[in-house]
Formats: sequence, structure tokens, C-alpha cells
Amino acid sequence: MKLLSRQTLTGAAAVALLAAAGCSSSGSAPAASSTSGSFGVNATGTVQFWARTVSKTLAQKLVSEFNATHKNLQVKLTLTSINDDVTSLATSIRAGDPPDVVGLNDIDMPTFTRNGSFTDLTTQINALPYKSALSPGHLGLATYNGKVYGVPYWGDLSVLWYNKTLFQQAGLNPDNPPTTYAQILSDAQAINKLGNGISGFTFAGDCQGCLGFTVQPGIWADGTHLTSGDINGQTANITGNTPLVNALTLYRQMWTQHLVPDNDRTDNGTTWGQDFAAGKIGIMPGGYGQVVNLVKASQLGSEFMDTPLPGSNGGYSTFDGGDDFAIPTAAKNPSGAWEFIQWVLQTGQQDQYPALGATPIRTDVLTPAFSAANPEDAVALKALAKGYAPVTLVYDQMFNQAGGPWFQMFTTAVYDGNVSLALQQGQSGLTRLLQQASQ
Amino acid sequence: MVLVSPAFAMVTLFVLFPLGFAVYISLTDWPLIGPYHFTGGQNYTELIHDPQFIHSVLFTLLYTGIVTGPIFIIGYAMAILVRSNRVGSTFFRTAFFLPFIIGLATESFMALLELQPDSGAVDYVLSRVGLAHAGTAWTVNYGLALTAICVFVTWFASGLTMMLLMAGMQGIPNELYEAAEVDGGTWWQKESRITLPLLRGNIALALIISVIGSFLAFNQFYILTEGGPGTSTQPVVMWIYEEAFVQYHLGYATAGAIALVIVIAIISAAQFYLLRDSSRAGR
Repeated sequence: MKLLSRQTLTGAAAVALLAAAGCSSSGSAPAASSTSGSFGVNATGTVQFWARTVSKTLAQKLVSEFNATHKNLQVKLTLTSINDDVTSLATSIRAGDPPDVVGLNDIDMPTFTRNGSFTDLTTQINALPYKSALSPGHLGLATYNGKVYGVPYWGDLSVLWYNKTLFQQAGLNPDNPPTTYAQILSDAQAINKLGNGISGFTFAGDCQGCLGFTVQPGIWADGTHLTSGDINGQTANITGNTPLVNALTLYRQMWTQHLVPDNDRTDNGTTWGQDFAAGKIGIMPGGYGQVVNLVKASQLGSEFMDTPLPGSNGGYSTFDGGDDFAIPTAAKNPSGAWEFIQWVLQTGQQDQYPALGATPIRTDVLTPAFSAANPEDAVALKALAKGYAPVTLVYDQMFNQAGGPWFQMFTTAVYDGNVSLALQQGQSGLTRLLQQASQ
Repeated sequence: MVLVSPAFAMVTLFVLFPLGFAVYISLTDWPLIGPYHFTGGQNYTELIHDPQFIHSVLFTLLYTGIVTGPIFIIGYAMAILVRSNRVGSTFFRTAFFLPFIIGLATESFMALLELQPDSGAVDYVLSRVGLAHAGTAWTVNYGLALTAICVFVTWFASGLTMMLLMAGMQGIPNELYEAAEVDGGTWWQKESRITLPLLRGNIALALIISVIGSFLAFNQFYILTEGGPGTSTQPVVMWIYEEAFVQYHLGYATAGAIALVIVIAIISAAQFYLLRDSSRAGR
């Protein structure tokens, strides 16, 4: 038997390496045939659906119901692990084997819409009779160069939760929740005086993403954003941003006046909201689904209620969080995927969202019957029409990192009390990120 | 060669090929999605001028320098305590090794809760013995966070060092100690002239594992501080993670990973050389 020489083995390994490199170049694939008239109608086969674990309850319910009512088209659900959804999807696209439909965090849509990874659904979405009722924030994140590459899936919206029992105990009107920063502060001060471990306000002070989710809407309600321009040439809008200064000042006051628990400084989101659910906090900006999943259904409306997140002098907004549906261009069953998506968008399915901890993404679902059945989610859904989510390639780097400019700015302003330095840090840090992204 | 070819095939497939492909990726601007271009050594040139990468390397070296000594000394002391089979040895071996078995990620989450200012056990206990103020925010201050993590990791890793050294100690013939006692040797003389020389290989192994583990530190920093405040407690593996999976600069991150592999290989080789048994040289 001839023994393999060292040179032969080395050469074989090198060839294999180069072959694999060549196979893994751009991962481009032919576009799905979305122009056909039968697209999304009476499709058959299997639809591979990837959803984020955070939407597990909703996804499992929807898939189960769809499969029970569509014998010729079955959806197979795969839940992607937390923090791994973007790289899992990118790896599958690069390997030429993506799912047929993905429920992607809407802030991650811009990463994929600009490089041909997703099917252009502009025609299909324009044909929807309820198109004008779809969440503008979700759609905005799915739009690139005038084309729409995704459609809203579910809403994870930020609202201002408050404890009606503590309001009453503090002599406040529980049917008159705060609508300005001044009222938030005064209500928190009144509740804080109750003592016995009660705090007037709370925020996850070491959770960068939580703060972005709950602080930014107040800035948007005042009519401005932290970036300017479209995604191809954005600039930072930090210096001289008065609404931003107002928001940071409010949180600085909450911190220095000890209107929040000491634990808030180190809360990285792991225990966020638990003290509110335990009845120890008067006011908490947070997510609709966040509190719904923490408290008993009987406590909603009676003990805990929500209101839109206000701006400094009135007005309101919300963070259009949640997921978008997208169909990768290399999907094997794009028609089945679009049929499933259209079914999810029907009002019969949207009406189920509140009970599953999500907010619908169609504003026309907000009927008197919906409001009566789901008063807390009706608040979030009402705010959806004024909702927004930053369309940028650097959202994670800007808002979700401990070393990112957003958290550095928040820390310097709120804990160190140096607002002017905070604005300088935010402006320079965000400018650097945006310049890197545009290269 | 034929007899080792199956093992060679496995090593090639699961080690050499991925390593080679990683080297190739490090020579490109490999993005998360989309086409890539060959850039040669540009990533490596950028690395040595990247202040954040340099900071993460220096921080990792500082962290390694702080924890390596205590892990070894405490592990050695525990090994002395449990190496004989007297009553209670089994209980203490289990108790000392249990933190390593449970796992760093799980214990990091537990530590995160116990380090909370209002509700954690650390502030509760330390404030009552006067070693800390109640309400100390450990994880958001650079010095406090580094101190807490170093103490935590020393507690976690000493058990493994104990097991490695204990196994070696139990292999030393008892006759050597008996002979030393007959000659009037003290406890320290027996340790320094019998145990330590014969334990050289185990000590080398324990130190190399400890240093490599410190260079690859990630879990405890990711969970407890997320590299903060800012990026002050960001070790090099976390830098690689954020560059790859947050910034989506996979080519650049891979260059950092390859550089780390080279550094670890050099340091491990140096440790092997310095801790070799010089009396066996030339045999």
C-alpha cells in the first residue's frame, strides 16, 4: 500500500480550503418569483419559518392554528436563539439554504434590505387593502431605496406603565396619568413619599437597549430624532438637541432625587420590571408585553395600567419594536411564505395578539370592541400610528452596547451630571459609527 | 502513517481545515452578508493601531496576571488539605471542585444577582463586617467590578488546580516522605524538596490551563459587566465577539482571533520551556 506523502496531504488540504472559500463567496441566489398572479394563493408544500425565541408564544400559536386550517400548506417553526438570530440568518443565506420566511427584529432589517437578501414585496404590500393601517415604523425599517422588503409581523411597543393603587395612596388621580415630563416628575415625587420601600419611578439603569426603547420616544414626541438624513448618508443630531437634553435631565432628576431604587443603577434588564410587578414602583416606562407577562391578568386595569410615553410638553410616541416578516430571495417556497404572512395579518389573527403578549401591527384593528377587550394593548396600538424606530445600519452599535455612544451619553448625563460632555460624547461617537457604516 | 491516518483525517477536518479557513477569512474584509474582497495583511496592520484592541489585550494581560497566582496558591493549599484519605477528605474535594463542575456561566448569573446593591448578599454581608458600604454598585465601577470578578474566578478555578495537583501528589511514593522524616526533615523541607520537584509536570499543566483560561475569559465579563463601564473591562475575546457579531466585521475579528491563537501558543510554549524538568534533558 502506497503511503500518502506529507506533500500530498498538505496539497489536498489546501485544495479543499480554496474550494470551500470559492463556494462561500457572495451567496447570491435567483430571486423568488413574486410577480406571478398566483403568488401567495393556494400554495402547497412546507414553509420553513424562523422566528425569534422572544416571540415564541405568539409564533407557536399562529403556526399551530395555520397548520390546523391549511392541510395542503404546512408551516414548520424554528426558534432562533437570543442574540443569534441575525448571524443564523446571515449564515443560512450565505450557505444558500435560508428559511422561506423569517421573523426578524425590525431594527435589523436595514442590514439585509440593502444587499439583495430579501424579496421585494412592494407590489404585494401595495395590493393589501389595509396597507395604510400597517405600522409605519415597521414598514420604514423594511424599506430601502423606495422598495419594501418586509411587512410588519408583531409589535413590541414601549408605553408608560403606572400603579393605580399607589396613585390613589399618594393622593393622585389614577385616571389622570402623566402626559408631560413635569407631571411624571411630580407624580413620582408624590409616590416616593409613601416610603416603606416604595419608589416613584424605575428604569433599567445598566441596560442600554431598555433605555433606548423607553427614553427615545419622549424625544420623538417632541418632534426630533437622534440622526438626520437617509440611510446612505446619515449624520448625528445630538449637539443642541433640546428634546434630548430634556429627556436626560428628567432621568438625572429621578436619580439625584432618589426617586428610583438603588438597584436601578446595576439593572441590566435581567430583573427589569419585577419590582413594578411586585407593587413597589409608581411609574415605569416599559414594554406592553413585558408587564403583561409579569403580572396576573386580573391585575391589569385594576392595579396596573398604561398610557402613551409622553414628550416633555405633551404629545406622545412609542418605539416601534417587534419583528418584520421577510422572505429571503433564495427561499424555496416564497409563495407559501406570502400566503402564511397574509393569513397572520388578517384581523382574526391580529385580535389574538394581546393575549399572547404582543401588540397588533394594524391600526385598523383598534375598534371599540378591541379597546373594551384589551384596554392596555389599545393604548399601545393607539400610539403605533405615531410610532417610530430609527432606520440605521448602526442601531446595535449605537444603542445596545455598553461601550456605545448612547449609553456613554446617558451615563455621563444621568449619573455624572455632565450633560454638555454627554452631548459631545454622543455626537462624536455616533458620527464615528455612521462614517464607518457609510464606507 | 497508515495507522494514524484516521486521527490525522479527523484533526485535518475539525482543526486544521477550520483554522486554515479562518486564516483565509482574516486576510479578507469578510462581511456578515454580501461579497468579500482579499485585503492581504490590512486587518493585521489595523489591529496593531486599534486602540480598543490594544486596550482589550492589555486588560486581558492584567486580569491574567492578577488571578493566576491566587488560583495556583489556593489550589495548591486545597490539594495539600485533601490529598490524604483522612475523614472529611471526600467532602472537601467535592466542595472545592463543585464550583468548576457547576460552570462559569451559571455562577456568573448567580453572582450578578448577589452583587446587586439593594438586594444582593455580597453588600449585605460585607456591610455588616464593615468591609463595604451598603448599596455598593460593584458591576458599574471599573475597580470594584475587576475585584469582584477576580475573586469570583479564583473561587471558580481553584478547584480544578486542586484536582490536577492532588492527582500528582497522590502519585509520589510515600517512602520518600518516610525517609525524609527519618532524616529529620520539616514539613516545608518535605514540600520543597520532594513534593514540588516531583510535581513539576502537574504544576506546569495547571499553570498553562489557568493562563489559557484567563486569556480566553469571556463568560464572566459578558454576564457581569458586558465589558463596561464603557469598554474598560472588555477582554480580548469579547472584543472579537463584538467586532464579529455586533459590528459584523468578520474578517477583522478573525484577524484578532488568529493573533490571539498565536499569542497563546507562544506563551504556552514559553511556559512549557520554563517549567520543563531540566534534569531529564538530553535523555
